[in-house]
Amino acid sequence: MDVVPFVFDVAAYSAIFVLVVLGLGIIASMMGIFNFAHGEFVLLGAYTVYLVEGTGMPSWFGMLLAPLCVAIVGLVLERLVIRRFYAAPVVAMLGTYAIALVLREGVRGLLGGQFYNVSAPLVGSFGLGHFSISKWRSAVIVITVVVMVGCYLLLVRTRFGLQMRASLENPALARASGISTSRVYAATFALGAGLAGLAGGLMVPIYSLNADLGVPFLIKSFLAVMLGGMGSFEGSVAGAALVGATSAALPWVIKPVVANLLVFLIAIVIVKFRPEGLLSRWRS
Amino acid sequence: MSQRDEVAGRVRSYERRLFLQRAGVLAGMTAAGAGTWILNPRGAWAAAPIKVGIATDLTGPISWGGIPNSQVARMVIDEMNAAGGLLGRPLQMILKDTATNEQLAVTRVRELVQKDRVDVVLGGITSSMRNAIKDTIVHRGRTLYIYPQLYEGLECTKYLYCTGPTPAQQCDTFIPWLIRNGGKKFYLPSADYVWPHVLNKYARKVIESHGGEVVGEEYFPVDHNDYSATVNKIMSSGVNVVFNTTIPPGVAALFKQLYEAGFSKKGGRLACVYYDENALNITPAHEIEGLASCLDYFKAVNDPFGNQVQDKYTRLYGTKNPLTAGSAATGMWRGLNLWAEAVKGAKSVRRDAVSEALDHARLADGLGGPCEVVPGTMHVRMNMYTAVARKGTYEIVEKSKGLVDPRECL
Repeated sequence: MDVVPFVFDVAAYSAIFVLVVLGLGIIASMMGIFNFAHGEFVLLGAYTVYLVEGTGMPSWFGMLLAPLCVAIVGLVLERLVIRRFYAAPVVAMLGTYAIALVLREGVRGLLGGQFYNVSAPLVGSFGLGHFSISKWRSAVIVITVVVMVGCYLLLVRTRFGLQMRASLENPALARASGISTSRVYAATFALGAGLAGLAGGLMVPIYSLNADLGVPFLIKSFLAVMLGGMGSFEGSVAGAALVGATSAALPWVIKPVVANLLVFLIAIVIVKFRPEGLLSRWRS
Repeated sequence: MSQRDEVAGRVRSYERRLFLQRAGVLAGMTAAGAGTWILNPRGAWAAAPIKVGIATDLTGPISWGGIPNSQVARMVIDEMNAAGGLLGRPLQMILKDTATNEQLAVTRVRELVQKDRVDVVLGGITSSMRNAIKDTIVHRGRTLYIYPQLYEGLECTKYLYCTGPTPAQQCDTFIPWLIRNGGKKFYLPSADYVWPHVLNKYARKVIESHGGEVVGEEYFPVDHNDYSATVNKIMSSGVNVVFNTTIPPGVAALFKQLYEAGFSKKGGRLACVYYDENALNITPAHEIEGLASCLDYFKAVNDPFGNQVQDKYTRLYGTKNPLTAGSAATGMWRGLNLWAEAVKGAKSVRRDAVSEALDHARLADGLGGPCEVVPGTMHVRMNMYTAVARKGTYEIVEKSKGLVDPRECL
């Protein structure tokens, strides 16, 4: 087995995966909402880049706009729909699933069911020994690391992060301390949606734009959040890295169809033995 | 009446009104049948219409194929009506959205054959859809069924006619061309469902009988999106031809990763037998430069007949969902016209009479040239074209010598 392309592949795929899970993890861990529309937020991010490119502007500009646009959509949805569901997480799942269907089929209608390509800001690959390494996938790895660190600092080092964590730990006390939990939740949801939009914008040149872009990621993303343990940002990231790395690494050694199943099997076994999440002991 | 009673009364009356409103909307939806469109012939006709049922995926993941299918059907039926209908009767098109959902589709085609009592059903894009609805149409519904998409073959149900290309038609001339213009070492990355499995079996036979070799045959979940392991195997084993049967959306990632690994640049040849003008949008043009495909029609055939049909289609429906071979639109065109010929020949719309006439129906001219049903096989002999993608468009590099045999149901 060739080590360079293997390591690069595992890193690149895990990076995309972490990027997708970041937003989902923040919403799930901070608000306790399993957002089934997350895949469609990813899709909206990708669609924004496609629209921006269609007007003749470069795709990187679309990638900057994508998180903003999707965050606004997320904010509107939170104010109109999601906030009614905080007391009933199961209903929230169904509600977000309905939103997902509306968004997905809406975009499908706009695209006429077609597939479209979006060009990467960096085209081609560079040589490393006699291997070719994709420039854009390398850039995505770097951007993911930056975004990950940024999110961590936001949650741990800023006033807003403190308010978010406070609202999660004890909403009543947070409100008593003068924090508007309603606003904090809205901002958190918008942040999660914006991260999904960014993930969509960055990944669309690697795949192609179509209404089902976010679907294959959704179930595995939930798996990642479960693995990492609810209520922890670092846990979601670790879970995402693990699921992403296994998904990418297994097809190198076994049949891809079997690999797909095995990812779930491994995750279920881990959840069985570490129901509190991967990092539970470390946190306690 | 106390205040409370008054409020309760108002609530009750409101509930009643709401209930009536909702029931009304629901009844209206049920009566019209969601996902159904009836397109009546224009003008005044004395005779009762011949009913043509079109069941296709207007929504859901296969809508890229269903939308052009429905549009081409509408265009052809309008043309037939403008030319005086069939047997002096107009044609009425009843369109059902099967929504890329086999269970729903069975209900919809049951409506077509039982409630609307259509004289023929055309439609279905995927093989799983054909398998789901054929029994309802052909056996229980006792209705003629025409399936328009290129497919894996082996469908020999009586009264079920397949008007798209078969593996023999897509491989017999194409694979020798690939060996001459690519090389002998083949790799077969494929999506894990029926079409790639059966097609690969046939392709492997043709590859080996022409002195080629299959280095690898690999199956992926249909929505797989990371092919690095496979691309690495392809690059390190000196493969000349990647004969791809992975499908969108996964195919975009595969072609991109092959491009980034320099497969085509180092002399490799990409091949994919469903790639048509529509598929050119899936990846940027430079990533599939040199990709070869083999279908029953390309715009690049550039014949007066095809151009005229294309111009009319584009005038009517624009360019968003073009008329292409990979989306079964050419099969739909062929199916409707062959069926019309058969109705004229049989002077009846009864299933047995039409089927007997359809068994040897032919079109002197059509999309991609003439075509004819091979008697006793329910498949169609047609021209096949090998085309290569260059700068975002196709160039025809080889045309079959005469009509190619489907070699099914012999």
